[in-house]
Amino acid sequence: MSRRASTLFWQVAFGVGALATWQWGWDLHDKVPWLVPDIFDPYFVSRPSDIFQLFLRMSCLVSKDDAWTPGTTGAFAACMGRSENNLWIATYFTLKNTLCGFAVGVSSGFALGLLLGRSDRLSEIFYPYITAFNSVPRIALAPIIILAFGIGDASKVVTAVLVVVFLVFFNTFEGARSVDRDHINAARLLGASEWQVTRTVIMPSTMAWLFASLSPAISFSLIGVIVGEFIGAEHGIGRMIIEAEARGEAAGMMVSVFVLMIVGVILSAIVSRIQGYLLRWRPARGQTL
Amino acid sequence: MPSTPPEASARCRIDVKGIRKTFFAQDGGERREVVAVDDASFRIGDGEFVALLGPSGCGKSTILNMVATLIAPNGGAIEVDGAPVIPGRPTRHVGYVFQKDTLFPWRTVEDNIGYALELAGVPVAERRTRVAEAIHAAGLDGFARFYPSALSGGMRQRVSLMRTLITQPEILLMDEPFGALDTHTKLEMHSVLLGLWERTRQTVLFVTHDLGEALTLADRVLLLSARPGRVKDDFRIDFPRPRNAVALRETRQYAELFQRIWHSLGEEFAKGHVP
Repeated sequence: MSRRASTLFWQVAFGVGALATWQWGWDLHDKVPWLVPDIFDPYFVSRPSDIFQLFLRMSCLVSKDDAWTPGTTGAFAACMGRSENNLWIATYFTLKNTLCGFAVGVSSGFALGLLLGRSDRLSEIFYPYITAFNSVPRIALAPIIILAFGIGDASKVVTAVLVVVFLVFFNTFEGARSVDRDHINAARLLGASEWQVTRTVIMPSTMAWLFASLSPAISFSLIGVIVGEFIGAEHGIGRMIIEAEARGEAAGMMVSVFVLMIVGVILSAIVSRIQGYLLRWRPARGQTL
Repeated sequence: MPSTPPEASARCRIDVKGIRKTFFAQDGGERREVVAVDDASFRIGDGEFVALLGPSGCGKSTILNMVATLIAPNGGAIEVDGAPVIPGRPTRHVGYVFQKDTLFPWRTVEDNIGYALELAGVPVAERRTRVAEAIHAAGLDGFARFYPSALSGGMRQRVSLMRTLITQPEILLMDEPFGALDTHTKLEMHSVLLGLWERTRQTVLFVTHDLGEALTLADRVLLLSARPGRVKDDFRIDFPRPRNAVALRETRQYAELFQRIWHSLGEEFAKGHVP
């Protein structure tokens, strides 16, 4: 068996084993208590079968009486019309706010980092404030933001922006300070004006640092939105988790966590693809002629 | 060989008059003023290829960078085409080739070469034609869309050279452009440069610590003394052109001239090593 095939085999084996233990392990709790500790009580963690069943219902794939909606005319649309416990609507709001927070956070962090990174005077003045503010865990500000911006989408976006902006700012700042002096000199000697130096040398070389921060930034943005939704929201996956917790419904929380996992994986994959394309000029090992 | 008066050449393009440069260096606990260049003077006529030769640390790159307006002298004056140069304000028609690789890694070969034309707002169609010509002239056909990271050191330096030459500078300043290349690639680059230059005949000031390189390329070799650098000797190199970078090295005249300058250079190298 090739190394790849063997890796794949063990990955599948581990996954199936873990799921099987999760599904049936608790049944053996009285006979082999060491296999499944008490905290794996289905009351807390539910079971894969229950989670899957609830997932189908929350995503409107089966109706309340467990009949498949794709077979019944209008059933899917009717289910989608209800916003309560609707995964699609919740995911839409969470995703929308995450992307908004990401976009605003990244662009303002980049602009700020570029400005302070290229101006010794400004960075001298503001640096202590920025470092002080940076040491505040941004999540701690979430309740204040909900209070100020209400329980609508704005507060989620602002929370995400605050989480993202510092990450991007510090990366851009470092990047803007470490632009190669010789690149700037070369551009000047080739006739570049100050603005042209900024546009054609400082921005592109700082971009490399910015792109490196995009992957963590999208994850951070999602965290910001979810925390905001925990504290107070009208829609969103975070709100669904809190509601399921209030009902003591483990499967409900697990469905939401599962959806978040999928959303997180897809977002990171998209961002790394974009990152790879934008940084295609970087030396890849072993490619030099 | 006694120096030939530079006035013998045509119009004077670069006139360096008694320039001086000092900088501060940390010597143990105290800051000490070091004189890098002291009272260096020389003139370069139109269309001359002049090599500035000296041991490392003699201030030859410092002199070049002062001519290029990259650093300001502490004394003396530099005139290009009769007008004093202003530090920080690159002079028109003057091109500069770095020793270090300063290609923009995020631009492809063609975008690096076309950079200056892009800055000057040259229309895309014209830009494309001129870039294609430059790529062909440098023997880089087929590499237009490559990023610098995928090229060898010699190819990168060719791109650098074309990035500067495409602006058609009348004066070309070169700071040990082939210093980081291996012997073989270096010889190849000499052929490329000779081939390009013998057609256009810009005025060139070429910094090097490699005597063979200076003899191969230049019409005149200015020998700098050990630090503080000043012009110690001025040799005229009368090998006929067009030159063959490889065959030239086999000739007797080359060997003789090499011997003579080598001796003079050796004295300066020895001084440079005295603590």
